[in-house]
Amino acid sequence: MNTRSRIAAALAAASLIALTGCGANAGATNAAGGDFPKKGKTIDLVVAFSSGGAVDTAARLIQPILEKELGTNVEVINKPGAGGQIGYTQLTGAAPDGYTIGATGSPSVVVSPLDPSRGAKYTRDSFQPLGRQVIDPTVIAVQPDSPYQTLKDLLDAAKANPKSMTASTTGLQTGEHFAMAQIQESTGSEFAPVHFSEGASQATTAFLGKHVDILVANVSDVVDLTKQGKARVLGVMTSERAPALPDVPTFKESGYDLEAGTTRGYSAPAGLPDEVAKKLEAAIQKAIEDPAVVQKMQDLGLQTSYLSGEDYKQYWAGQEEDFKKVLPLVQKTD
Amino acid sequence: MDTLNELMGGFAAAMTWQNLLFAFLGCLLGTIIGVLPGIGPVAGVALLIPLTLNLDATGAIIMLCAIFYGTAYGGTITSVLLNTPGEAASAITTIDGYAMTKLGKAGAALTIAAVGSFVGGTVATLGLVMAAKPLGELGLLVGPPEFFALMVVGISLLVALAGKSMVKAVISGALGLLIAMVGIDPVAGAPRFTFGMDRLLDGVSFVAVIVGVFGLSELLSYRKGTTTPNVHAPNLRSLLPTGREWRRSAPAMARGTGIGFGLGLIPGMTGSVSSLLAYGAEKKFSRHRNELGKGAIEGVAGPETANNSHANAALIPLFTLGIPASPTIAVLMGAFLQQGLTPGPTLFTEHSEIAWAIIASLFIGNLLLLVLNVPLVGLWTSILRVPTTILTALILLFMVIGAYTINFSVFDVFVMIGFGLLGLALRHLDIPLAPMVLTLVLGPLMERSLRESLEISQGDFGIFTSRPISAVLIGLGLLIIFSPLLKLRKPKALNEDPET
Repeated sequence: MNTRSRIAAALAAASLIALTGCGANAGATNAAGGDFPKKGKTIDLVVAFSSGGAVDTAARLIQPILEKELGTNVEVINKPGAGGQIGYTQLTGAAPDGYTIGATGSPSVVVSPLDPSRGAKYTRDSFQPLGRQVIDPTVIAVQPDSPYQTLKDLLDAAKANPKSMTASTTGLQTGEHFAMAQIQESTGSEFAPVHFSEGASQATTAFLGKHVDILVANVSDVVDLTKQGKARVLGVMTSERAPALPDVPTFKESGYDLEAGTTRGYSAPAGLPDEVAKKLEAAIQKAIEDPAVVQKMQDLGLQTSYLSGEDYKQYWAGQEEDFKKVLPLVQKTD
Repeated sequence: MDTLNELMGGFAAAMTWQNLLFAFLGCLLGTIIGVLPGIGPVAGVALLIPLTLNLDATGAIIMLCAIFYGTAYGGTITSVLLNTPGEAASAITTIDGYAMTKLGKAGAALTIAAVGSFVGGTVATLGLVMAAKPLGELGLLVGPPEFFALMVVGISLLVALAGKSMVKAVISGALGLLIAMVGIDPVAGAPRFTFGMDRLLDGVSFVAVIVGVFGLSELLSYRKGTTTPNVHAPNLRSLLPTGREWRRSAPAMARGTGIGFGLGLIPGMTGSVSSLLAYGAEKKFSRHRNELGKGAIEGVAGPETANNSHANAALIPLFTLGIPASPTIAVLMGAFLQQGLTPGPTLFTEHSEIAWAIIASLFIGNLLLLVLNVPLVGLWTSILRVPTTILTALILLFMVIGAYTINFSVFDVFVMIGFGLLGLALRHLDIPLAPMVLTLVLGPLMERSLRESLEISQGDFGIFTSRPISAVLIGLGLLIIFSPLLKLRKPKALNEDPET
């Protein structure tokens, strides 16, 4: 009895190892691209932030249209942590066969490889940009019962008593952290950053529970909160007012010439076969520019601003130059 | 009164035959997906969202909610019968669930799990109806310091899981924390203990570790010839729990409901924390705590009730604040958005009929799940009639498939095998396995909340004692840790528990 069960177990193990081996080989050989995407083979869309945040929501909105365009399943996979680095590592580590694509956002994707202490295993060249979707400006919000009514009130107070107020970021060297560094450098106002590395919904939760004083976030994160009266947005870091928050003055209007925000798009691991890249780029453009998606993005406070893969690549390179200049600020403030 | 009227309206909307059909289909599909190893609720709901896109908003959300708790129950079936958790939240159920299967009581375990799921889910949904708004706000009181303090309470239950030797329990717990550290540092972004392997940047997969440590190591220990696989096919009488089992389950279900409900309200808490702490609570407070681990019904009733209570309570922050409290809820939130509904308080003002129909369907879905699963218990347990030789091989097959399908990665299969060997070694050394699982789940959450708290206080540890909720919780944790010491000082004759 015992011997038989032992043999049976060994046989099962052996056949399984053989089977999984076959599966891996089959996956590796169809990278040529002509028949991409194979029907029934799932495309993974890696989101480097937790579910429920803005990046995730955008990915989930385009997912059904990508499925229709490509004629196969597209599955959104969340790999949050370390300000996006975990997800980006997974994305760039995947085979460039088109079956793994990912949402890429700056500054996270641009900045994480610049700082050697983070030990990122990818650079800008590890990505093949496929299309830019939106630009989402940074905002500063206070609790509804806060004594500060204007941006100037708040920044003056933070200048008089540096680090007396806590402010949320979505992780070290994220857009919010960069924005805070920019503010500190040009105005001398300093907040104590609290890094919620799990993402925007964690930061928002802590702000709603009044565990942090100030919410540094993107326009899209605060539109609904403003409607509910749970946050008072004091300033938007763009040159023009955000359509979703028409009553909120820009930093420029308040006398601070500062701009910051996050950009989101989609990329694949570098080295896609041309034909595969073309198909993916076309499907992504269709999905981003789909009127229903644009409308839903607008409802969420996000302005669609499409760029093709090539233009997104140029834009990415430009951003890298800009961020290299301010990087010491972010390292210095922490 | 208003609430009741609106709820009745919701029932009227949910009780159309189409919506009932969607709820039924959802439960059935969810259960099947849950039975498939490796595919837990997150992947299950995500996979089935496309099915619902062409339905109207109410029908689609009703079906998805049904799929959501269907998967939660389905995961239990493989935990109990095959010692392979279908999803992380039912991992701890394998300990007593599979032990019951070996005693020929698989049917009772599955029935109790179904009833417990129903109780937990229904009570949590009642909470959603009666007091969603204040409860949602209550969850917000838990900031990073309170979250950390809760984790301290969780870790303190290690004492309860210790068994004979506290030192061995601490070794096991420390091992779990060490394994939890593997991967990218969540704050600074530097890789830790990855030995240059990219696969380890994400840390080791929890389900693969559990399947290895509990399932595989047990299978391997049969092969040594010390124990023989002793799985009895249940006879008809043993399909239903005995009166004694019902009575023993009731308090466990009550505790499980409370733990799952409380933790479910807190954004960022996962269902596996609830089921683990419910198991720990049984180990600590149940009248039959000495039987736990050897096939005690409490070890199934507590965690399974907590798991479902958590899943339904986690909908409260979604409905009241628009915050997805867990990964599965976030997938549901995506489905809401695709249907043009923004979850949050505005849902009740702008789409109140849909909101109430969904809530009504939660009650219906929980009931359907019970009606669907109790008669099926006989069908599921007939798996055990398969001869042992073949069944052992089948279980191994399920373990390998289960580990593989988590991330579709062969690496996880090796992780599972590696941890199977580690589990075997620990069994040899008589080191308990449960503390390791506890710290493995709580470790990352504890680290994150500790670091966030210290950023808020700018390095001052006083933040944990100066805030009332966290001070009370930390005090409770210390009390649990030191209570065995207090007991030791009593004269031996007064000591009720001969094993401590």
